[in-house]
Amino acid sequence: MAVKKFNKMVNPEKIKGDTRYGDLYKPHGKVRKRREWRGVGDTLYDYSRWLGIMLTLGKFMAKPRNIKFFFRYRWMANYLAVPMMVDRFTQGLRGEYLRMTHEEQDLIIIDVAKLLNTMARADRRTGNDEEFSKINVLVDENEMTAVMMGFPNLKCTSRETPSTYVSVLLNQHAMEHYIDVAQEYGLPGDVCPMPEAEAGVSIDDDAPIFGACAVQCNTTCDGSLLGNGVISERLEKEDGIPVFQLPAPLRHKEDDVQDYAAEEIRRAIAFIEENTGHKWDWDYYFECAKRVNFATKCRNEWLDMNKTDYPQIFGGNLALYTETNYMAICGKVPEFEKCDRKLMKLAEKAYKKRKMAAPEYRHRAIVWGVQSHFYMDFLVWLLNCWGIVPLTDMLSCINTEMIADTDTPENREQAYYDMAMLTEEMIMRNRTHGGYKVLLDDLFEFVEQYNADMIILWEHITCKALDGMHGLFEDRARELGVPLIWVDHQLFDPRVISRQGVRDQVNSYMRTVMQEEPLDPTLEVLDDENAW
Amino acid sequence: MKKKLLKALLYVLTGGLAFFVVTFTVYFFNLDMKLTSAIEPFLLKWYDRIPRNQHL
Repeated sequence: MAVKKFNKMVNPEKIKGDTRYGDLYKPHGKVRKRREWRGVGDTLYDYSRWLGIMLTLGKFMAKPRNIKFFFRYRWMANYLAVPMMVDRFTQGLRGEYLRMTHEEQDLIIIDVAKLLNTMARADRRTGNDEEFSKINVLVDENEMTAVMMGFPNLKCTSRETPSTYVSVLLNQHAMEHYIDVAQEYGLPGDVCPMPEAEAGVSIDDDAPIFGACAVQCNTTCDGSLLGNGVISERLEKEDGIPVFQLPAPLRHKEDDVQDYAAEEIRRAIAFIEENTGHKWDWDYYFECAKRVNFATKCRNEWLDMNKTDYPQIFGGNLALYTETNYMAICGKVPEFEKCDRKLMKLAEKAYKKRKMAAPEYRHRAIVWGVQSHFYMDFLVWLLNCWGIVPLTDMLSCINTEMIADTDTPENREQAYYDMAMLTEEMIMRNRTHGGYKVLLDDLFEFVEQYNADMIILWEHITCKALDGMHGLFEDRARELGVPLIWVDHQLFDPRVISRQGVRDQVNSYMRTVMQEEPLDPTLEVLDDENAW
Repeated sequence: MKKKLLKALLYVLTGGLAFFVVTFTVYFFNLDMKLTSAIEPFLLKWYDRIPRNQHL
């Protein structure tokens, strides 16, 4: 394998409006001085989408039970920052790129608002709608929801998605309280802070109580198992909600584990049928399977586009949308198929016009490892500050295969294996487990396929599955002559490594090793420690 | 009738313009986020006062 040298590409189109993005930050501030000026057309477009977001939030708060819900759960305070999250992900974007981000993020906001509405209605402390509660099946945040593809009249509800996952995207400090609560009760501080925070929400009595039953998954690590143990204890013994453990095999590339994996899927479905009284519906399953295949087809095409000189759906646009669409949605929400179509149209339009998202593309990077959740918009920063194009990231490199989507007796049997495969190959665990081929070898194959000339390697310092491979990554990169930048972080806790601490690692490498100057020097050092 | 229609149209246009001026000012100067960031500390104090059954 040979790493090609990438020649800098300059955008022939001038970026309209603000170009010194660091000037918009208020020192020590929680929020920015003002919103970005993007030229008349794009500013008005962004303003119209902001109005839409305000309408979604206003509609949610118009219901008295939702107000009660808002004032009951501490993590709900993070939803004050919804518009700012969108501003962070759209920084520097114009034209099609701005529209793609809004298509994705505005839909995710609507979907999360619906999820919160469901929770407020079913929760015993707020809406207390018992009949409605009985049609909810609880799942983990980081869990493939394929086992729910055959239940059209049940709701697949993750309490952890809005309480922890989305909260940290909105506010970098969102989970500090819950991490502290978990550790006050003796949980170790060296496990992944994501499951630890989820356990903290449960310990702090801050998880809504509802649901007919729950399905937990052995997601990825020791922390995940620890968190699930704490949560299921309370669910089963205190709240009377039965929990099924779905232990998907970790050696997911091996043929000899697939029968077992399919059997576990059968058992999970039987558990849901038994506890809800609802029966598996094959018509609905294959309808969802078609949508899963369509999403896979689109993602494959976007990734192919990113292998060319004119990548279109990349960075934050690819990462956040893939996580939502692949695992949480998994073919169950038709609106996401419509969004896929719109995104495809925008991407093709921009590709035909050979559009670029920044004034210059200086490096093409593969982003690997588990990204910092409190700084997901780091990918936007990489592009705007240093001209580094994050072509794809590890969490977006998931299943590329089609599943059986027509109803035949053979396909009904195959469906269990497909659901097992989707569950085994869910985001993060498909790379952090399964042998070093999927974690190490594949990375360097992607470097070649995408004509990348750089690797940004996130090192989540409490992720033991990845940290164990540190030396092997370095050896391979050195051997092949690929510049590799390590970026340490602690996923949910910016008190350990701050956002500036994350940026400094790239800044030092770019200045000392690459001997380069930033594209936008105002972004190099930002006083955003207090920011949402 | 025509006069009434014109008057109604004028009201709609004035109302629309006023709505645009106010909301665009809020949008551009980030006043929505400035307001909510000022509310957050009071909210957190409120959540601290809620009695909880905190345990493992």
